[in-house]
Amino acid sequence: MPSDEVTERESNSGASAVRYEGASKRYPGSAKAAVDELTLEVPAGEICVLVGPSGCGKTTAMRMVNRMVEPSAGDILIGERSVRERSPAQLRREIGYVIQQIGLFPHRTIAQNIGAVPQLLGWKRERTAARAAELLALVGLDPDLAERYPAQLSGGQQQRVGVARALAADPLVMLMDEPFGAIDPINRERLQNEFLRLQAEIGKTVLFVTHDIDEAIKMGDRIAIMREGGKVAQYATPAELLMDPADEFVEDFVGADRALKRLALMRVADIDLWEAPLAHVGQATAEVRSKLSGAEVPYPLLVDSERRPLGWLSERDLAGELVPSKPDSPLGPLLDLDDVMRDALADLLQGEAQYAAVADHQGRIAGVLSVEIISEFLGSPQAKTEEHPATERPHG
Amino acid sequence: MANPALIAAVGEVGKGFIHERTSETLPCQATDKLFCWGWASEHINRYETPTLQHLELVAISVLIGFVIAFALALLAHRHHWLQPPLLAGTGVLYTIPSVAFFFLLLPLTGRGEDTAIIALSAYTLQIIFRNTMIGFANVPRAVVDAARGMGQTDRQVLWRVELPLALPEIFAGLQVATVSTVAIATLAAFAGGGGLGEPILKGGISFKTNLILAGGITFLIAVSFGLILFALQRLLTPWRRVTQT
Repeated sequence: MPSDEVTERESNSGASAVRYEGASKRYPGSAKAAVDELTLEVPAGEICVLVGPSGCGKTTAMRMVNRMVEPSAGDILIGERSVRERSPAQLRREIGYVIQQIGLFPHRTIAQNIGAVPQLLGWKRERTAARAAELLALVGLDPDLAERYPAQLSGGQQQRVGVARALAADPLVMLMDEPFGAIDPINRERLQNEFLRLQAEIGKTVLFVTHDIDEAIKMGDRIAIMREGGKVAQYATPAELLMDPADEFVEDFVGADRALKRLALMRVADIDLWEAPLAHVGQATAEVRSKLSGAEVPYPLLVDSERRPLGWLSERDLAGELVPSKPDSPLGPLLDLDDVMRDALADLLQGEAQYAAVADHQGRIAGVLSVEIISEFLGSPQAKTEEHPATERPHG
Repeated sequence: MANPALIAAVGEVGKGFIHERTSETLPCQATDKLFCWGWASEHINRYETPTLQHLELVAISVLIGFVIAFALALLAHRHHWLQPPLLAGTGVLYTIPSVAFFFLLLPLTGRGEDTAIIALSAYTLQIIFRNTMIGFANVPRAVVDAARGMGQTDRQVLWRVELPLALPEIFAGLQVATVSTVAIATLAAFAGGGGLGEPILKGGISFKTNLILAGGITFLIAVSFGLILFALQRLLTPWRRVTQT
């Protein structure tokens, strides 16, 4: 598979750590610094989210890395090299750059857009074209789009091209300035998930700017919360931020629903699920009834021969001798072990269901999630103290 | 039948032109007829040289005007403070009445094509300069930001991004400049610059067939230049075609 080759090449070339060493930006005529002696290290291959209210200097801090904003003091290192060691143009060709407005070249085809940096680097035409095709596949776009112009693509497709363009020359670092900010909520969610999946493959060092704390928690391996005046209020993993905010500012910014937000960090697989009594079509109802007493879930779940859930059996279904093939109540929400807990809860609430069957990757029943499990989790001391497996997240 | 009174009415300016005519054409020039087909078909070749001169005047003037205005626009694009004085300067040139401009130049550059070309070029500056600036200003900032952010030098941003994206406005400026130059070039005859103003000037205001022929050819020249520029723009901006469907 071509995308696997890409992955291998990407991860071989690797990513570089980014180190801010007292980097500041002062604009002439302004008393306050836009970014004030920022010292921060982003380990190679991690996503660091810079988040904060508008005017906190997060975008300025990000743009100093590729010298779109020239630092007025201090230094920034990519790997071991200062960003000042190269000309800005040279430096920028080694750094992926994605912005909110995307900024695709309207007069260039999609393939030419993706090949923009390779072209600057003087790659041969065939190599650039092959790379563009590879990247289209990597970001999940139809190869037929290569010869289209940006105006012929939807906003979501354009942003995928924006990401592909930034990855084209295999950069050491990616800078993403509110990359999904202009996308509608449904597509934003999808693009976020896609990017996390992509990042799990390519393992770039990413500086990601957003003003949305939920996005920060979802995307970041680490989050730097910035406050006005260009200072970092706290730099920590999402779980640490939620469990142990450094001060009132961080606590306010993270929000009162910290416990709920932690659900965004968890997957269904991370929690102990309940077991439902299973029933097969044609099984004696008496046998099913006997399993009901003492079961965690008081309803039997009908499954097929592959143990794939079909639906819940009601009292009426159990009235006959044998389990019927058509259950009385529909299955309702069906979750996956990989689903994010917050989404799982949303599905439960939306389906007005108390229980939801959870399937594994083969679609077989893995357990049952209930509203009760979640509320217990949120109320338990474990929810506040347990070190959340942020590192186990696929992109971690 | 020559009518001396009518010939006199054609006026002093028309004399030379009419005196060259053979006797059988006199009736047409001397009557009130709107258009004499016979005279027109017989003498159409008289317009050949003025037409070629006219084409030359327009082409050279617009070309020179474009080169100067475009260079000025590039300069003003890089040094923004130059924009107001350049707009004002080219604007002043644009507001000088054409005939006055030709006469003002005569003592400096003498009669002839050069004088005409200088004046005509000067007229195109304002339109081409202003449109080029508008074209640059209309390039989406995000696109320029992305171009710089991926490592294009200022020069690469200009030639690979800003210029192509400004083409529609630049062409719009060229269209207007060219068409108006075709019209103003008929006044070049005052400065001895030739062109289709020559037969108009010589034929006088009452020789309608001549006026219609010269005017018609001028009109056709304007339309042709317009169409050529339109085709050229479509050829150079293929991305605009797909977005408009």
